[in-house]
Amino acid sequence: MSEARNNVPLFLMGGIMIIYALIVNTGVLLPLMKSIGTHKSVDLQVTMCFIVGILGILTGIVNSIRKPQNTVLDRFFLQPMAGVLLLLSLAMLVRWYVEPWVIIGSKALKPIIGFGIYKVLNLNYVVLGLLVGVIITNTVGIPKFAASGVKTARFVLKMGVILLGARYSFAELAKLGVYSIWLVGGFVMGTVFLVLWLGNMFKQPKSMTGVLSAGMGVCGVSATVAVAPVVRAKSEEMAYTIGTILSFGIICMFVFPTVGKLVGMNPTQFGAWAGTGILNSAQVAAAALAFNAVDIATLKVAEIFNITRVLFLPIIVLVLATWFGKETGQKLNFKTVVIDKFPIFILGFLLLFLMSSMGLFSPPDHYKGKYIDFSYNDRTRITDQEWATLNDALDTGAIMGADATQMAALEDLRKQHQIAGNFDDRNNKAVFDKVGRDRMTALESILAQLKAKKIEMSKEVKGVVDHALKQVHKKSKTIVTLTDCMIWFFAFGLIGLGMQITKKAMAQAGGWPLVIGLISGVTKAVLSFFVVLWFVKEVTLK
Amino acid sequence: MSKKVDIDTGSEGKGSHQFSAQADTQEMEERALSVFSSERNEDITALVFTLITTFVVLLFTKWMV
Repeated sequence: MSEARNNVPLFLMGGIMIIYALIVNTGVLLPLMKSIGTHKSVDLQVTMCFIVGILGILTGIVNSIRKPQNTVLDRFFLQPMAGVLLLLSLAMLVRWYVEPWVIIGSKALKPIIGFGIYKVLNLNYVVLGLLVGVIITNTVGIPKFAASGVKTARFVLKMGVILLGARYSFAELAKLGVYSIWLVGGFVMGTVFLVLWLGNMFKQPKSMTGVLSAGMGVCGVSATVAVAPVVRAKSEEMAYTIGTILSFGIICMFVFPTVGKLVGMNPTQFGAWAGTGILNSAQVAAAALAFNAVDIATLKVAEIFNITRVLFLPIIVLVLATWFGKETGQKLNFKTVVIDKFPIFILGFLLLFLMSSMGLFSPPDHYKGKYIDFSYNDRTRITDQEWATLNDALDTGAIMGADATQMAALEDLRKQHQIAGNFDDRNNKAVFDKVGRDRMTALESILAQLKAKKIEMSKEVKGVVDHALKQVHKKSKTIVTLTDCMIWFFAFGLIGLGMQITKKAMAQAGGWPLVIGLISGVTKAVLSFFVVLWFVKEVTLK
Repeated sequence: MSKKVDIDTGSEGKGSHQFSAQADTQEMEERALSVFSSERNEDITALVFTLITTFVVLLFTKWMV
């Protein structure tokens, strides 16, 4: 009987999940879900809650009638289940309710404060999950029944890191201009080594320095999450790094556009600078748009530089794994460092990166599962009605203010019913895709100038252009699903890791990460400013 | 193979566990925060689970579509 009482939390959480699944299944919550934009996940919510709820209750029954033993089943399944259920329900709460509400609140505040808090502070499931964990552990504390389950967090987080590898590919890196690879690569490696050197100088723990170097050098939050287990960073060190990166990014987001305008940078120069110097992707985009909201070139260049930086993640992971193995071991030879000390889960990350580069999940030149497809097929065409609208607009001269390139792109859309290269070049993929890409860029610039009221055209024609652009932007279903899995693993893992961050642990870490982060961040921003100003004159992309 | 020592972490923990005889406090702390008794076991399990996930996803989103 007392065993059954010990399992009350399991029965309770399992029951709540099943009841929630039943309620969602009736459709009562649909209006609420539509208002927060989670209605597309109804099926997932019902299925997940049913499965997890039933699993919880079954585990509760087994735990009640069977004495706990020291078996694999007990250690990895029966004992942690209550904690796993708690972390999962918190992850669901964050993904399905907290994050959407933060986005809505942030959008409502945008007209008043001028920027979206959600984007600027990067308040996505990663940061929110970590925050939820920190708040729980520092207020009510980790419930006793969940203690064992919370210990699965790091393991689940590693699964997320392995899946992260599927989102990148070598082909995308090769497609970028050689110039941007050298420029960004130099700064990424430079920053990583600068942080490692500073950490050594200020006598900081290797784990702290390692995780901060990846965060400051590569791409902020995802790099931090990926590298943390490699250098065995503690949860609070990870939290500090994320905090440092985001606060530094916020300052940059306001300072960069002002400085860029003061010195008269051109769109390409500013894009290159923002993409190199600012760490968080959303903050890079915000700075590029603040500098120039009309000319799409700034944002494009900034994104390309940002992508290049992100693509260095696998390399940095390798470098830091080797560095950490060397730093912690004594008299290690190459074999010991690379083979024995190398974290196995990082091999998994590299394996998925390789599979992704070989095109197993998506065409090999994808980035985060997105790719552009100009090939001729029905799915890439605009509808007959849209074609008639465009035909009328072009015949009557209803599109005003567009330049010759933009008009040529529209004419070709009328001719081919889709964005594509020239029909005669269809067997030469490189030439065909290049022409198609140029036409796509011209159509994108039409939409940007329409927004800035420099081009005039009807809403219907804008709809046609919008649709044509959407048709060539494809997403790999495999990578989208793998990313979804990754997001769930991260949300679960980060809530659990957040629960290991106590106030005492934060105080012990002190303010050094902030100092090191600030020194390296400012150095990188200043150096990249001069390099970009002197060496980047015009388009550096292929 | 390095020498191992057994440490009983009690019923609230994970029972008896093996640590390297040269294990430092940091390693002990780290293992106390995980259900796995070694970093290697944790990594291999994570890798196997992820590969199974990847296979299932490929099966339903690519190979069987």
